[in-house]
Amino acid sequence: MGFLTLASLSKVYGDHAAVRDVDLSVAKGEFVSLLGPSGCGKTTTLQMIAGLVEPTRGTITLDGRDITHEKPNTRGLGIVFQSYALFPHMTVAQNVAFGLEMRKVARAERDKRVKTMLGLVHLAQLADRYPRQLSGGQRQRVAIARALVIVPPVLLLDEPLSNLDAKLREEMQFELRRIQQSVGTTTIMVTHDQAEALSISDRVVVMEQGRMTQIDAPYRLYEHPATAFISSFVGKMNRLDGVWRGQGPSGTAQINGVSLPCEQASFPDGQTVALSLRPEKILLRAHGQGRVDGTIVNRFFLGSYWLFTVETPVGALSVSVPNHGEEPAGEGDAVALDWTPASLRVEAITATAGAAA
Amino acid sequence: MSRARSALTPWLLVSPGALLFLALVIVPLVLTVILSFHVYDHGTGIKNEFTLAHYLAVVTDDYYLGIFWRTLRVAALTTLLCALIGVPEAYILARMRDPWRSVFLLVIIGPLLVSVVVRAFGWSMLLGSTGLVNQALQALGFGTVKLLYTETAIVIALVHVMLPFMVIPVWTSLQRLDPAVEAAAWTLGASRFTALRRVVMPQVSMGMLSGSLIVFGLSASAFAIPGLLGGRRLKMAATLVYDEFMHELNWPLGATIAIIVLVANLVIMLAYNRMVEARARRTLG
Repeated sequence: MGFLTLASLSKVYGDHAAVRDVDLSVAKGEFVSLLGPSGCGKTTTLQMIAGLVEPTRGTITLDGRDITHEKPNTRGLGIVFQSYALFPHMTVAQNVAFGLEMRKVARAERDKRVKTMLGLVHLAQLADRYPRQLSGGQRQRVAIARALVIVPPVLLLDEPLSNLDAKLREEMQFELRRIQQSVGTTTIMVTHDQAEALSISDRVVVMEQGRMTQIDAPYRLYEHPATAFISSFVGKMNRLDGVWRGQGPSGTAQINGVSLPCEQASFPDGQTVALSLRPEKILLRAHGQGRVDGTIVNRFFLGSYWLFTVETPVGALSVSVPNHGEEPAGEGDAVALDWTPASLRVEAITATAGAAA
Repeated sequence: MSRARSALTPWLLVSPGALLFLALVIVPLVLTVILSFHVYDHGTGIKNEFTLAHYLAVVTDDYYLGIFWRTLRVAALTTLLCALIGVPEAYILARMRDPWRSVFLLVIIGPLLVSVVVRAFGWSMLLGSTGLVNQALQALGFGTVKLLYTETAIVIALVHVMLPFMVIPVWTSLQRLDPAVEAAAWTLGASRFTALRRVVMPQVSMGMLSGSLIVFGLSASAFAIPGLLGGRRLKMAATLVYDEFMHELNWPLGATIAIIVLVANLVIMLAYNRMVEARARRTLG
């Protein structure tokens, strides 16, 4: 039994099920992300945990206590809203102190805890500013401090980084993890940004159309996506359609007559299959020395790595190559591509998998 | 392009509005001020001599001072009642979903679509000694109350007319408020009432300020409602001015009262504005 448990939690609006039978068990101190595209039900799930949306079915248990129908103000959870929802007429210190005031914490104790918390989020010198005088990143840290100062059993983060610009988002991502680890609070974060979810979570929950489709550690999710949707949503992925030739495990996947060996796959002869291959698992070789030959169509420099689009007999493939400091092959050059058979994933295409992709 | 022309452009652009304002507001106002200093003689009418006698007469006469106090009292009470009714009304309106929101917005604005005179007569039929209210009271065994031609009747009718002027600014400021802010207060342990008091109310204070300024200004200078529901005896500032002009034909005295009411209104509203706005500006920016 986890610290926070959701059991067959559902929310139905009219005839549309926003969240369907979600089961999740979160351990104490764990950082779990709910990842999915907009409209997948991740925010509704978070709001049900927060008590802002009444579940249609199912139960929420916190530390052995059933909180399914408790009001938000008695749950005692810390929530960081997407818009931060700071009180605009209160200073930073007053914002952070609000939750303690509601808990009737004595003045001296309150001031001490606000000061400690503002120190933790590096905002001690801005305590007397109003939210409108702060930058986006500072506001976000006020929101985190306000949610954490009440020492909540669970911290809920609703797209906490989506209102920040790219550079700040990356910084705040690690900052968030640092704060979470130093306080040790069980945290659930909702996000649509897979990079964010992968980099700072202990486990990632992928949601599609109101359902949880995979719950896994970030690297396992990346290496072993459970559905075609997850493989395309998490990280970059080359997807090719092919046909299985030969019987069972001794066969190979073929695309336009090119045979591609792969491990641990077995399909009946003639089965149409989907092949997926991560761009960083492909190696660039000299022409004639790889599995397939091709021509570089596009080359993009992305700082730490180069991204190529290579036209091959099996189709166009994205290839990413770490930047070693020398200029690699250019557009129009003939090259060959190589990869280990283990990195090529093969799945049978069924009607539903095709629709989801 | 000559620089002179481009420098003139803003002046040319504001000139139609400015001229209209000058001709229709400033000129009559200046004429009224001048008129208030003219000597008036009951036998010969307005004389081309100047005096401060009218001002002295007004500020020393209990009759006029009584009417000014009544005007102030009625306007302040109307403003207070409008705030007490209008702010919760605006909050409920802002939380409504769409088909109902439009319906109730129309119900609130509806009174503005009917002539004030018609509405005042409507109220006089309801509040009269044999009106619906008294009939209902009698049926319940309470006996009749005198409502028509009292300050109560004026306040009731004024609140009815002025309510939209309070609801709409408050509603507008509520719409700017992120609903998540209220939710944030709940999750931090605030009850619904505490969240309203500590988080929502300070946000709508600017809307309440502008609403109460409009309501106070319009109530203090209301003419038709005090005229029809206050009767001939229960006068307010605007009806008093009307009587001085049209019945007494003492135009300078009427002008004096009008100017005093205008100045008093301005002073009260500016002071109120300063007091509330200074506080709100500091925190809301």
